[in-house]
Amino acid sequence: MQSLLEVSSLSVSYGGVRAVRDCSLRVEEGEAVALLGPNGAGKSSTLRAIVGLVKSSGDVTFAQESITGLACEKIVSRGLTMVPEGRRLFPQLTIHENLMLGARDRRAGHEVYDDLLDRLPILAERRNQPAGTLSGGEQQQVAVARALMSRPRLLLIDEPSLGLAPTLVDRVYELLGELKAQGLSMLIVEQEVIRVLNFADRAYAMANGTIELSGTSEELKNSDDVKNFYLGTET
Amino acid sequence: MDAILTYVVNVISLGGTYALLALGLAVVFSVLRLINFAHGELMTLAGYTLLAGIVLGVPFWAAVIAAVVVGGIAAVIMETTAFRPVRNANPATLLMTSFAVAMLLQVIFQNFISARGQAVPVPSMFTGSIPIGNAQISIIQAISIVASLASLIVLKLFFDRSRWGWAIRAAADDFETVRLMGYRASRLIAVAFLISGLLAGIAGVLWVMQRGSVDPLMGLKPVLAAFVVVVIGGLGSLPGAVIGGYILAGIEIALQTWLPESFIPYRDALTFVLVVVVLSLFPNGLFGKRIAEKV
Ligand SMILES: Nc1ncnc2c1ncn2[C@@H]1O[C@H](COP(=O)(O)OP(=O)(O)OP(=O)(O)O)[C@@H](O)[C@H]1O
Ligand SMILES: [Mg+2]
Repeated sequence: MQSLLEVSSLSVSYGGVRAVRDCSLRVEEGEAVALLGPNGAGKSSTLRAIVGLVKSSGDVTFAQESITGLACEKIVSRGLTMVPEGRRLFPQLTIHENLMLGARDRRAGHEVYDDLLDRLPILAERRNQPAGTLSGGEQQQVAVARALMSRPRLLLIDEPSLGLAPTLVDRVYELLGELKAQGLSMLIVEQEVIRVLNFADRAYAMANGTIELSGTSEELKNSDDVKNFYLGTET
Repeated sequence: MDAILTYVVNVISLGGTYALLALGLAVVFSVLRLINFAHGELMTLAGYTLLAGIVLGVPFWAAVIAAVVVGGIAAVIMETTAFRPVRNANPATLLMTSFAVAMLLQVIFQNFISARGQAVPVPSMFTGSIPIGNAQISIIQAISIVASLASLIVLKLFFDRSRWGWAIRAAADDFETVRLMGYRASRLIAVAFLISGLLAGIAGVLWVMQRGSVDPLMGLKPVLAAFVVVVIGGLGSLPGAVIGGYILAGIEIALQTWLPESFIPYRDALTFVLVVVVLSLFPNGLFGKRIAEKV
C-alpha cells in the first residue's frame, strides 16, 4: 500500500536559483505531518510545487496516481488543496463569497457550507461581511474553511499561526484537531515548532532547500539538532 | 431648467456608453493587468457587423444581436491568438501587443472594407425624438440610456451573484489564489474577454446608432475616453469604471454646452487638465486601491 502523498526528489528553481533541492517526503492517510525550517528554507515552495502553483521537477504521487506537472485546478479537483501562507482571503468579497469560491460547484458548496456553519459560528454571524474586515484569527479560520469547501482528502497548510496571538493560535489548532479526528490528512508548515510537534504525528525539518531530518514528532522534539536549530535552547 | 434636463439626459446617455466601455477595459485589466487598446476595434467590428446585417436585409434586432455576439467572440479570439502567447511576458509587452492588434484591425478594415466612413441606415422608427417638458430627447438617446443601464444591472447581478463573477472580482486582487480554488486560468481570462467583448459590442451598436456611420478609426476616441475613465475610477475598480464613465461624460458635456465658442477647440485639453487634477488629488483614482504586484 502506497502513502496518500509521496513526494520524491522534488526540486524548485526560480530563474536559475534553486529554492528546493531533491526533497522527498510522504504523508499517510489520516496522518498530520509537520514541515519545519527556518525562513527561506523552501517550505512554501515545496507546498506550492505539490499543488501545482510553481513548476518543479521530481515526482509527486497522490492517492496512487501521479500528479506530477498537472495544472493546479486538476490537482485541487483530485482532493488536494492548500491554505496559503498569509491566508490570502479575497478582502473585498464577503465571507460567503470567499467560501463558495472554494467549492467545486454550487450544490456541493451549500452542503459543506452548512456543515461548516455549525462548527464555526463566525461564518454564520458575519457571512455577508467583507472578509477584509475580520481579525487575523478569524481570517485564518475562514481560510481553512474555504479550503475545506472542496472536500479535500489532504490539506496543505502554510503557517497557520503566522501573525496570531497565542490564544488565537489555540483556536486554529483546535479546529485542525477536530479535522484530524475526522480523518483529514494534513501537511503543516509551521514556525511554532513546539506547538506543531505536539500536534503532528511525524515531522520533517528542512534547511537550505533539502530535508535534513525526519522522524516522529517525539524523536524530533528530543533531537539535539532541532533543539539547537529551531527551539533556540542550548543543550 | 430645460438646459439642465438636456444636460442630464446627454450625460446619462454618453456616460452609459463610456461606462460600458470602461467596464470592458476594467474586467480585462483585473485578470490580466492589461489595458487592451484594441478594445475600440471590437466596437468598430460590432459596427460593421450591424451595417452588414442591415445591408443584407436581416431584421434590425437580429443585426444588433449579431453585432454584440461578434464583439464577444472576437474578443475571445483576440485573447487566444494574440494575448495568450505573451500572457506571462511583462506588462509592456502585453501593452505593445494590444497596440499591434488595434493597428492590424484598423488596416484590415481600411483595406478590406473602406478607409472612408459608411453610412449606417438606422430604421426610421429610431430617428424621431420624444418631448419631455420643453426639451427634446432623441429616441436613440433614450434607447442608449435604457440599454446601458440594463447592461449595467445585468453585469452587477453577474458580479454579485455568480461564481464566475466572484472569481473575476477575486482575481483582480489575487489571481493565484483563485487558481488554488480550482479555477482554470485560461478559462477565467477567456470569460473576462468574452464579457469585455460583449460590452464593446453593445457600446459599438449604441455609438454607431448615434452617429449613423461607421469607419475604421471609429473606436479610437471612445476607447481613449474609456481609458481616461478607468484611470479616474481607479484601475481595476469595477464600480469606479461606471462612476468614472458618468463623471467624464459630465465634464465633457458641460464644457461642450457652456464653454464660450472660442474655447471649444481646447475642450479635450481642458478635459485632460481636469483628469490630471483628479489624479493629483487621488493618485490611485477615485475608487482605486494600490495595485498589487501580479504574482
Ligand atoms: N517567486 C519567487 N521568485 C524568486 N525567488 C523566490 C520566490 N519565492 C521564493 N523564492 C526564494 O526561494 C527561497 C525559498 O522560499 P520559500 O518561500 O519557499 O521559503 P520558506 O521556507 O517558506 O520561508 P518562510 O519561512 O520565510 O515563509 C527563498 O530564498 C526565497 O527568496
Ligand atoms: Mg513560507
